[in-house]
This record gives sequence, C-alpha cells and structure tokens, in this order.
Amino acid sequence: MQILFQARGATLQALFLVVLSIAVMVVDHRFNHLEIVRSNISLAISPLRYLVSLPATGGSWLEDWFTSHTELIEENEALKDQRRILSARLQKMEILAEENARLRSLLGSSRKIADDVIVAELLSVDQNPYRQLIEINKGSSDGIEKGNAVIDDFGVMGQVIHVNPQSATTILISDPEHAIPVQFIRSGTRSVAFGGGSAHQLELRYLPATADIMVGDELVTSGLGGRFPPNYPVATVTSISEDRVRGFVSVIAEPKARLDSSREVLVIKPRI
Amino acid sequence: MSRLRYLVIHLSLVVALILMILPLPDWAQMYRPNWMALMLIYWSMALPKRVGLWFAFFSGIVLDTSLGTLLGQHTLALVIVVYFNLLFYQRIRVLALAQQAIYVFALLLINQVVIAWVEGIMGRPTPLLAYFGAPLIGMLIWPWVFVILRDIRRKALLR
Repeated sequence: MQILFQARGATLQALFLVVLSIAVMVVDHRFNHLEIVRSNISLAISPLRYLVSLPATGGSWLEDWFTSHTELIEENEALKDQRRILSARLQKMEILAEENARLRSLLGSSRKIADDVIVAELLSVDQNPYRQLIEINKGSSDGIEKGNAVIDDFGVMGQVIHVNPQSATTILISDPEHAIPVQFIRSGTRSVAFGGGSAHQLELRYLPATADIMVGDELVTSGLGGRFPPNYPVATVTSISEDRVRGFVSVIAEPKARLDSSREVLVIKPRI
Repeated sequence: MSRLRYLVIHLSLVVALILMILPLPDWAQMYRPNWMALMLIYWSMALPKRVGLWFAFFSGIVLDTSLGTLLGQHTLALVIVVYFNLLFYQRIRVLALAQQAIYVFALLLINQVVIAWVEGIMGRPTPLLAYFGAPLIGMLIWPWVFVILRDIRRKALLR
C-alpha cells in the first residue's frame, strides 16, 4: 500500500517536472529571460571547461616542445617567405588605403575603414553534432556584446549569441539556424547564405534562374541587416543546382573561414 | 559527517558532466554514451529516496547549459528516464547485470528519442537511426558503471 502511494507521489512530481521543463524550453526558445540562469551556471562550470581543454592544450605544448630542429628551420624559412609576401602586399595595401582615404575625403564621407577588433581564443566546441556552436574565452568584461561578428584570418566565422562575463558562445555561419546576408563579388547579386549543418557547407536557396553565378565565385558580407560589417570574405561557390520545375537555382558554397580548425578568432565591434 | 558522505553522489555527477563535454573526434560524437543518464539511473536505482526527480531536473539544467542545447531539452529526457526507473527499480535491482543492461538500453533509447523529438519540433529533424549508437555503447558499459558505482557507494557507506 505504501509503495502504491509512493509511486503515485512520484507520478505527480514527474508530471509537474515534465510540464516545468517544457515551460522552460518554451521560454528559452521564445524569450531571453533565462539568459541570466544560463550565464550563472556557465560561470560555475567554467573551471570544468578549462579542465576538459587541458589535454588538448597540453598536447599542442608537447608537440611544440618536441618539434625537431630541421622542422623548425623549415618552418622558419616558410614563415620568412610568407612575411616577405605579406609585407609586399602590405605596401600595396597602404597605397590603396591612402588612395581610398583620399577618395573618401573627396566624397566628404568620414567613415572609418578599420573596425575595433578583440582577439579571442577558442575554449570549446559544442558537442551536439547537429549544432555548430563554439565557446570563446572573452566575454562581457572584455567588451564583447551579443551580435558581434566573429572572424578568423580567412573569413567570417559567425556571430556571438550568448555573452557571459568571461566567455561567449558563438554561432557559426554553418549552423542550420544561421543565415548571413551576402553579395557575389563578380556580379554584385545579393542573397542570404544559410548554414548547411556541416563545417564545409553553406546554402543559398531560391536564387532566380537568370542570376549570373559560376562555380568559384567569391561571396562577401553585404553589410545589409547591420550585424556583419560589409566586404568580409564569406565563402566560395562549389556547386550550382537548378530546379527546372520551379525556376530557382540553389547554390552550395564552402566557407572561407576554417570553421573546424581555427583556434584564434577576432571579434569585431562595430564603430558607431 | 554523514551529510558529507552524500557528496559522493554529486561528485560522480560532476564526473559525468566532464565526460559529457570532453572533446571527441567528429565520428565518435554519435557514440558518446549519455553518462549523465547512466549515473542517474544507477543512483536512483540504488538510493531512490535520495536521488529522485528533482536531482534529474537540476542535473539536466546544468547539462543543457554546458552543452549549449535548449534549456530543458536534456532535462525533460532525464526526468522521464528517472521516472520510469523509479517505477521499475524494485524489479530491476534483483536482475542479473546482463538483463539490467537491456533495461538500461531501453531507458537510454527513450532518453535519445525525447531529445530527438525536441530537436524535431524546433525544425531540426534528426535521422532516428543515428540515435541507436549511443544507447548501445551505454548498454555495453553499464556493467562496469554499475560495479564501480556500487563499490564507491559501499565504501562511502551510503544506503
């Protein structure tokens, strides 16, 4: 008899908690009220995150330690070459920047080209295979805000969606829930690139069949929507498929940024 | 002193959390057993008066935060799993380890299906077949989890 009552109590409690967790899910999905719960728990478990990332960090440290002499020389040579190339490019850039500034001043516009940038490191990667989220080691105490764009040396990576005091969660452009306004450099066509769910794929759906697109076209941010600053490289078109029935073209593009291997990222703060 | 001993339970759940967020190569993600569910199944089977639904609820909230999933997604799955466990634990406790493992497989599968449902409702349908891997691995390691946690429980004199 006692067991019976016990079970009934458990059933009521379970029902209550099931309803409660569904309510929590709805609130979390629709509104922002639970952000504070999330950031507090995140703060509490951040030591665990560091602990978990230790083997990887230790591994790369050991690797550096045991890199052989010849490898170091080779690497040094390669880096010197790269530096020469880069400094040559930089000279060209300076000339271009000067020219640009001159032209802008001619136009009477005072907009700055450079954006404020914060350097951050990757802390962890979301383990859910169906999401594309990363955690970075700078947060609101470093001036990062929700909505800031995140890039690496090659292109746009994503944007910040949760900010904690010491860390921030970034959604990658390849997340199925993410979309980024883009523009084709060659033809100037504007579109929106959706995440394809894997680190190597973006999708551009419902482009008109007459749009001027070729495999190998470069995509940059268009700056529309106000989240991403314009003219950062996003992706390269890898395949085009035509839907003859509906008269649309959908395009698959490969992100420029190394979404699955970059460890250092840059967070861009928009200038007002 | 006697209160302190129960920290063993919390500690084991922290270990489960670490195992859940430990980075794994991409191909192995699918086969990561749900350690949190395994530990909660053990504790709610061994000490149903101590480790019950509220325990599952709070562990789930912490798990959801650390995995970056929708707050409440793993929570719902864990609450349901622990509820089933509370209904059946008296019958399961006396079974042989191999038989228990099959029961644990069923519970872990329910856990995965609930998570997949929530993903589906949010518009991210997941191939259901892909969800069999993790419960299978969970079933295979259950005997070890059971024996290790039982030894820890006996050492800590928890009953």
